[in-house]
Amino acid sequence: MIHKFSVRSAGVAEPDIRELGRSWGLEDLEVWRDYYVEFESAPDAAALGQVAAVLGDQLDVEVTLDAPLDAGAVQVAYKRGVVDNESDSIVTVCGLLGVKAKAGKVATSYKSAAPQLRDLIVTSRFNSTIEELHVEEPHYDTLVPQGHYDPAEQYDLRGLSDDELAQLGTAGGRNLSLVQMKHVQHVQNTLNDEFVTDVLLEALDARWSDHCAHTTWKSLGSLLGRLIQAAKDVDNPNVLSMFHDNAGVWDFYDGHAIAIKAETHNGPSAISGYFGQLTKLGGVLRDILGTGLSADPIGSFEYTAVGEPEAPAPIKGRPDARRLAGETIRAIKEYGNTFGVPMMSSRMTFHPAYRAKPFALGGSIGLLPVEAAQRGTPRPGDFVVLIGGLTGNEGIHGASASSAGAVMDTTAVQIGAPLEQVKFRKALIELREAGCMSALTDVGGAGLNSAVGEIGEACGVWINTALVPLKTAALPMWRILLSESQERMLLAVPPEHQARAKQILDRHMVRSTVIGRFADTGRYHVFHAPDLTEEKLIAADPFSVPAHQGELGFDVAYDLLDLEVERVEVGAPPRPQGAPEWPELDAKQLADLLEQVVSDAEVASQHYADSQYDSTVQGNTWYGPHYGTEQPVRTAYWAGTPVDGSPAAAVLNTAFNPWMFDADPVAATRQMFCAAIAGQVLAGVAVKDVCMCDNFYTPHLSENWREWLVGMVDELAGLVRHFGVPLISGKDSSAGSVHTDEGLVSVPPAVFLSALGKVPHRDGLLREQWTAQGNVLVQVGLRTSSPVGTVAARKLGLPDGGLDDLELSEVDSYLTALAGSRELLLSGARIGAGGVAATLAQGVLASGIGVRLENATTESLFAEHRIGAVVEVAPADVAKLPAELNPVVLGTLDGTGIVLDGTDLFTPAARDGWLNSFTARIA
Amino acid sequence: MKPTVNVLYLPGTNCQEETVRAFAEVGAEPRMRFAADLLAGTDRLDDADILCIPGGFSFGDHLGGGAVAAALLRSHLADQFEAARSRPLLGICNGFQIAVRGGCFGKVGLKVNTAGTFRNEENQRHVVETGNDSPWLAGLAGQTLTFPCAHGEGRFDPGSETEGYRVALRYEKGTNPDGSFDDIAGITSADGLSFGLMDHPERAMDRETRLAFFENGVRAVR
Repeated sequence: MIHKFSVRSAGVAEPDIRELGRSWGLEDLEVWRDYYVEFESAPDAAALGQVAAVLGDQLDVEVTLDAPLDAGAVQVAYKRGVVDNESDSIVTVCGLLGVKAKAGKVATSYKSAAPQLRDLIVTSRFNSTIEELHVEEPHYDTLVPQGHYDPAEQYDLRGLSDDELAQLGTAGGRNLSLVQMKHVQHVQNTLNDEFVTDVLLEALDARWSDHCAHTTWKSLGSLLGRLIQAAKDVDNPNVLSMFHDNAGVWDFYDGHAIAIKAETHNGPSAISGYFGQLTKLGGVLRDILGTGLSADPIGSFEYTAVGEPEAPAPIKGRPDARRLAGETIRAIKEYGNTFGVPMMSSRMTFHPAYRAKPFALGGSIGLLPVEAAQRGTPRPGDFVVLIGGLTGNEGIHGASASSAGAVMDTTAVQIGAPLEQVKFRKALIELREAGCMSALTDVGGAGLNSAVGEIGEACGVWINTALVPLKTAALPMWRILLSESQERMLLAVPPEHQARAKQILDRHMVRSTVIGRFADTGRYHVFHAPDLTEEKLIAADPFSVPAHQGELGFDVAYDLLDLEVERVEVGAPPRPQGAPEWPELDAKQLADLLEQVVSDAEVASQHYADSQYDSTVQGNTWYGPHYGTEQPVRTAYWAGTPVDGSPAAAVLNTAFNPWMFDADPVAATRQMFCAAIAGQVLAGVAVKDVCMCDNFYTPHLSENWREWLVGMVDELAGLVRHFGVPLISGKDSSAGSVHTDEGLVSVPPAVFLSALGKVPHRDGLLREQWTAQGNVLVQVGLRTSSPVGTVAARKLGLPDGGLDDLELSEVDSYLTALAGSRELLLSGARIGAGGVAATLAQGVLASGIGVRLENATTESLFAEHRIGAVVEVAPADVAKLPAELNPVVLGTLDGTGIVLDGTDLFTPAARDGWLNSFTARIA
Repeated sequence: MKPTVNVLYLPGTNCQEETVRAFAEVGAEPRMRFAADLLAGTDRLDDADILCIPGGFSFGDHLGGGAVAAALLRSHLADQFEAARSRPLLGICNGFQIAVRGGCFGKVGLKVNTAGTFRNEENQRHVVETGNDSPWLAGLAGQTLTFPCAHGEGRFDPGSETEGYRVALRYEKGTNPDGSFDDIAGITSADGLSFGLMDHPERAMDRETRLAFFENGVRAVR
């Protein structure tokens, strides 16, 4: 029995609806929510009234029951099988009221007399990939997502030709190559089996995908190994764990450690900005939860690059950049805020190379005790316990399709439900403290297959897929194994702790199910036996595989699953030479250029987005993500004090500029790495206390992409060795080329760097806000004067060219002098996008204090000296600054503008552009 | 004996640790009360000197901020919640929404912010109302306190209610982040025992600001 409850404003529309109506030019716009509830039996009128009372428990709200969709109204709802996050809560509420419901569904309805309503919705409020649109009342037989169990398909690969093997490898959305299929054939021959199943084919498709196996990086000569070896050579004692767990772990203070991880979700975000970005943040938070014996997330960060907001999507039917930007903000807000982790840094870039496939990066850091910092090892006999959300028909082929750059469909989009993850977050910490887990990992890309397969590799494992709790009525075995349903974790729980673990999880209202055991077999074993219940499994001999295994998916020794990747040799990348000259501009022209530069999204306030992200939850945010008594200006770093009662601070900053990677990925890598370290040292962190996380996002079809990728990795390895700053975590996404309606679109070969540092006391950190009129602003640091990759060069239309080469010995000298001069510095701000001019403009906006410049040229104002800073010094201390800082006096703090020879370069129009241009382009 | 504080922990609550820390800092004994234990009857909501409902997104804010949690309080825990309301009660952010829907302040509402979205302000300024003798506000009248704002459904709407609540604090003039009626940032019940506010004093870096309300609440039950 399904009933519909429509909840809408009883009087004047709410402000957000009125604003939407204004922006669409529809003054009569009505928007409301329709809740469909499927009850287990026919509820009486009183029960329906109780449900309606809860749904309408707000001032000025009315609820109507079973009213069909109004004529002229348009309703948007998720497609069947795409699960509403709210449906669980609808069922919960009904249960609280004593009315049993089994499923719910939520839809949004719009109404206006204007004929363009439907078009407006389709272009801005509707994603055809995951949603359906109704102009008449839809009819539902059931709200429970349907599904059925199919017996596993069986294939005898013996005797198949290469063509037949290749065809089978790519059938049904798989992306197995001929080489890989031949290895499967080898597996069958070795096992002497009559057949292999589709379960094994699907499992290997995921296991050997670039996402899971990093085949691109392996084929180019163990690129990850080069970074790891560099970090090992450095032997920084702060490294507790690197590259062999879900996150890297860095020693903190007094027995605490900090985990750091960032990952990308580029493919799903191209289809649905909302769900792609929602799950990128959820996924990386789960990585932190699954590090060591569980870390507690204490901060998140995110970076998104999309195409120009004014441009249409290059693939028909895909969301355009403006839509992606809006959905990104909504997703980051909903996941991060709901999860309760402070946003440390967020930024959005508009760059045409990301118009087909955005750069969707999410990161997090988490706190854990040093003694829990190492990845756990399951013991034979331990239970395999799946906790968290239900498993549904979603995210299928997510890992392999995104890796292959293949077209992803609806079922490749994962649906995030942050509430599930909030529930198990603290439960995991309790489980850790109670010693209930010998190991854990998150269930992410490639689903259970990856999680079980990886964690079981230490000894062997078997699972019964029939025990996996599903969103749908049933699913085939391979879909259960491959589903990328979110908010799930996999635990190894020793039998003696199982009851206690269950008690803790129940207390946190976290769903948990024992689905198998770790075994002393060295084999990965999957079967589907509905009559082997959880109770029987728990009661069975811990060291024996159940005699009755129902239907076999596969049972394969781990060493048979390894696949050698063919090595591809590449040469050195072509390096661009020369750089255009900066033009000479007069004061009026400089002012015009400043207006354009500060209005660019790389410099302009993104407060419209930032102000929707909770940055203070947990109560440990010491500095950032904004500063300024007059205007909130983005800080160059974030600092938090995560340990109760301790002043020790973690410091995070990031470095990335796609236009520099457009020009020369290797030189850009060097500048970004040095800029991140210089930012940490300026804040007050010692170089030896800095580590980094790398996220490569590279094309796979553009010219010289392999050469650039290898060149960037080798450059990074060299930088790690030079500075003693190790990379302890990272991820590679090597599918940045997309065939579109406009032709091939490729992202630039690039690496995003996130730096984590630590200081023993927060009071030593240098702030960016100018402190007093009369003090002197001094530019310090190395000079990177090439216009290439700068905001100003784009505004001036300057031609391409090369980036400056940095001498690392000069960087060393600068960093040493900077660390030794800190007592002279009253404030300090990194020079970044927009150069010195943008740094000055933001200083003015934040403090309300102006600067009188001694002199200026186009180059001195707009070159982006990225390994440099603008520091504030008392007049008497200017002469004390060491020569190694390369100090150049810019001017004196005075007045309220940026004044050069009597002309204020920072016009009201420029201030307005800084404040409003980002919002105007996406909102 | 330290005054005891029950801190309600629901699925989706996420500000419990800083809230517990603040109560502990002022000498109280906070203890978490899990929804599962309350429903099972192994713990009670009303066996402490103070009840605090901290911030977060209980039940994911589904069906409206605090809606599911309030339904739980009104259905299965109604007697205990009533008893707790006869002693000091503090609702912060989502806890305030739950307390409003739970009927602590008459028939008022907290609606979606005027901007239609979440609003984060790291240094929101609040002025404590004069003339409200609630124990939570003792000695603070007229003071301006700066602490973070972070909410999406905090627009206070009194509807036609005039008796069920009293103004406790207002956003400083010109800084109203959510469109609340008359810049109202927090209210107390008519008897002053229940205090609700959308913003987060427990997150303030300045110790004095962070603990001001908590010290008052605990002092009142010593």
